[in-house]
Amino acid sequence: MSEDLPILACRDMSCQISARPKALDVLQNIDFTVARHTALGIVGESGAGKSMLVKSIMGIAPASVRVNGQIMLDGQDLFAMKPRDRARFIGRKVGIVFQNPMTSLNPYVPVGRQIAEACRQHFDVPRDEARQRAIELLRTVGIADPEDCYDYYPHHFSGGMKQRIMIAASLICHPDLLIADEATTALDVTVQKEVLDLLQTIQEQRQMSMILVSHNLGVVAGRTDEILVLYGGHVVEYGPTSEVFRNPRHRYTEALLSAMPHMDQPTHTRLRTIAGQPPSLANKPAGCPFAPRCGAAEGPCHTTMPDMRTGTDSRHRFACHFPLEQTVGPAVVSGATDRGARAQ
Amino acid sequence: MSSPGAPLVQGTRLGDIARAAMPATSMLKLPGGTLFEMLAAAFLVFLVLIALFVDFIPGLVSPKFPYGDFSQMPDLTLNGLLGTDDIGRSILSRVLYGARASLTIVFVATCLSVSVGLLLGMLAGYYRGMLERMVDLYANTMSALPSVLVVLAFVTATGTSVGAIILILGILDIGTYARVAKAGVISQNNRDYVLAARAMGATDARILMKEILPNLIPALTAVMPTLMAGLIITEGSLSFLGYGIPAPAPSWGGMIASSTDLLSRFPVLIVGPTMAIVLTVYALNTVGDYLAHRLNSRERGN
Amino acid sequence: MTGLKPYAKAVSTRILAGIPVFLLVTFGATALSSLAPGSAAQLILGDNATAEQVAALNSAYGYDLPLWERYLKWLGNLLQGDLGQTLFSQQPVLDVVFDRAAVTFEIAFLAMALSLVGIPAAMYTASHPGGIADRFLRSLSSLLLAVPTFVIVVLLSYVFAIVLRWLPATGWANFTDDPIANLWYVALPVICLSLHQTAYLYRVARNEMITVLQEDFVQVARARGLSLSYIMLRHVLRPSMPQILTVMGLSLTYMLAGSFVVESYFAVPGIGWTVLTAVKSHDIPLVQAILSLTVVIFVIVFMLVDIGYAIIDPRVTVS
Repeated sequence: MSEDLPILACRDMSCQISARPKALDVLQNIDFTVARHTALGIVGESGAGKSMLVKSIMGIAPASVRVNGQIMLDGQDLFAMKPRDRARFIGRKVGIVFQNPMTSLNPYVPVGRQIAEACRQHFDVPRDEARQRAIELLRTVGIADPEDCYDYYPHHFSGGMKQRIMIAASLICHPDLLIADEATTALDVTVQKEVLDLLQTIQEQRQMSMILVSHNLGVVAGRTDEILVLYGGHVVEYGPTSEVFRNPRHRYTEALLSAMPHMDQPTHTRLRTIAGQPPSLANKPAGCPFAPRCGAAEGPCHTTMPDMRTGTDSRHRFACHFPLEQTVGPAVVSGATDRGARAQ
Repeated sequence: MSSPGAPLVQGTRLGDIARAAMPATSMLKLPGGTLFEMLAAAFLVFLVLIALFVDFIPGLVSPKFPYGDFSQMPDLTLNGLLGTDDIGRSILSRVLYGARASLTIVFVATCLSVSVGLLLGMLAGYYRGMLERMVDLYANTMSALPSVLVVLAFVTATGTSVGAIILILGILDIGTYARVAKAGVISQNNRDYVLAARAMGATDARILMKEILPNLIPALTAVMPTLMAGLIITEGSLSFLGYGIPAPAPSWGGMIASSTDLLSRFPVLIVGPTMAIVLTVYALNTVGDYLAHRLNSRERGN
Repeated sequence: MTGLKPYAKAVSTRILAGIPVFLLVTFGATALSSLAPGSAAQLILGDNATAEQVAALNSAYGYDLPLWERYLKWLGNLLQGDLGQTLFSQQPVLDVVFDRAAVTFEIAFLAMALSLVGIPAAMYTASHPGGIADRFLRSLSSLLLAVPTFVIVVLLSYVFAIVLRWLPATGWANFTDDPIANLWYVALPVICLSLHQTAYLYRVARNEMITVLQEDFVQVARARGLSLSYIMLRHVLRPSMPQILTVMGLSLTYMLAGSFVVESYFAVPGIGWTVLTAVKSHDIPLVQAILSLTVVIFVIVFMLVDIGYAIIDPRVTVS
């Protein structure tokens, strides 16, 4: 596989839940790519379709969900494969860490085996070697006494430790892409940062790509190269992280950014909130999904879905009829978003 | 579920229902079953109507006296629809009167065990302590013994009569109903409306009757069809073994038992009573599953 | 890890919980004898017995004592391993019960072993929900659960013994005398007994596995591309086992306590058959002994089930 081929490319992807009286659109017109060795942040409120997006990519969406469009993983069209081959291929190429470490590990199986089992199955690695690999990974993710821990059961570990074990498990097949689906949401705040730093270090050291899914802009801020903002099942803004943070063009992104606390505010400043509720699946607005909550919405916003437009930076795209003006001035959030610049 | 300190018997479907928290509204909202479940319910209604009005079916002969030749094959007359048995009695008539006998016994026994079980369970759940331990002991004991064994042990002493059978069958399920009621009361006991009623100085009896009892009905209703199906089977087994309803009166189990002698020559004779008992148990199980399912999904919704 | 402690705990908890049940059942059984219409002695001696004969027999058996005294006496004898004599054949009750129990145990364990096919069937259909096999087995199992054993017995013996003539309808040979003949005679009773168990076990196992399949860790395993059969074996079967074991324990107890219908229909000389003859002859000591045995079996089986829990669930071992 050539180096400039993106590790993951979703083309015009959509997800529908078959339901009565009519099918529900969970995701529509999803287009994005993840280049090699880069990190993409996917941000959105709960219900925006983040989890469904991840599950669709991983091929574990519930049976009632139809996924359309094209997903290219490492140059291979996933939907052109037989289901069994697809599952194996995804399992080898992609490592995934889910939200809740408490329930992501099987309480009845020793953690070492849960780490090692994937490479035993996918690459026929002999038992002893798989064990060595798993122990090595346990050490990498910062578990003390990895040899002993191999045979321990999940209930011996704290939440943060379990999430480290999940990370170790996701790395066992040397994946090219690591997906962290709200991987730190369920953890204590102090542990959150440790785990995020661990993810970032591993991604950089192992030259992997990463998708960091979160409802929290702060999580993706300093750790991703690009950011994709989901709202109501649509991509509303997508571009280099620093650019999006500095120059949000979609009003939802802007609202999200100003709802975020940051250091240069005076203390006790009230954070802005976004009035209203995200659209429900059953009655989505005909036009822009954000229109009912948007301060600047006018006629066309309520009737037609805006097309993706391109900003001055050609990689920065957004779907808004009346986008915010490009500001050149001070960044909305300073300092924290510099990784994009650093990586380039 | 998985600790050794768990109660002596656990994990049956009934147990799950009993453990589930009681819903806040009093009645099950019924409609919304599949066609299949509707058919099962309709069959049960039909059966109850038969049991009530079998005397008034025009042209139906008595189940106790011979009507035609021995072991006649089925024909298209009303009384001969299912053939005649070994001494020439109409099998259709016996099946229909047998429905009355089975349903009556099971219905009265269920009334008995529901009322006693509900009373004991409510008191045990409300006052806890010694009474609760007694109820648990009783329920555990009954679940340790197969119901046929219990009934046979009693029959050794009392002999068979319809009254004795009703009484013994009624005893079997008291523990289960009591346990369901008890679990319900315990889960209700600290709900706001009970605390509010207590704060307003309502008496224990009033709280139990007005606040708690209505909320126990759905869980009890949900276990009832399945337990009744069990009683139908137990009653049938007893009649089959010869310890059920005394002889000339028709009973499904007894009919099956008496048709076994002629099975090699007249296998058709077994069709009527077999269909009757299988359909009845199947319909009760279906309705029971439906109620339990609804109750569970409603609780998940709450 | 604390080694044997959880097993010791399982054993002691069950025994402690079993004692009051045992006492209640045996006391109830003793009380039953006073419910009987005539006195036991009258039943044995017949209507022509003189009052002296009846009184002599009553005092010999202790029937003239008050209930609680009779019960204490029975308990005392029990502790010495003496459960009295059967009323009619005048054999030691214990010998009779153990003799019969061996027969019933053979049938029950064979039926239990046969019903285990429900577990792989459940594994397959739970991993392919809504498929043809799933729908077929679900209908079949709910149908089987609606057919009482006495109907199954009649139908199967009609098909296999009368129409096809493959298997004998009645008869018995001891395993120790003639193992082949024993298996030959035991086949139909075992099949009849296991049908219900299989259906019930299948249902519970399938539903439990469907529940486990919703767990996050199964999603993780699927996302990692592990094969379905591996996931079922490694990640689903074991978490479903506690529920399955409970059902197996309950079924085994009921089958060991006597499969009345099956044994009486096929004339198998086991516990159930013995109870039926004892009931016919109002042989209360025998019924009492079998009731006690049932409680003991129940306690032992559920002790094993608890030990099974402790083996299956790693969390029990440390708590």
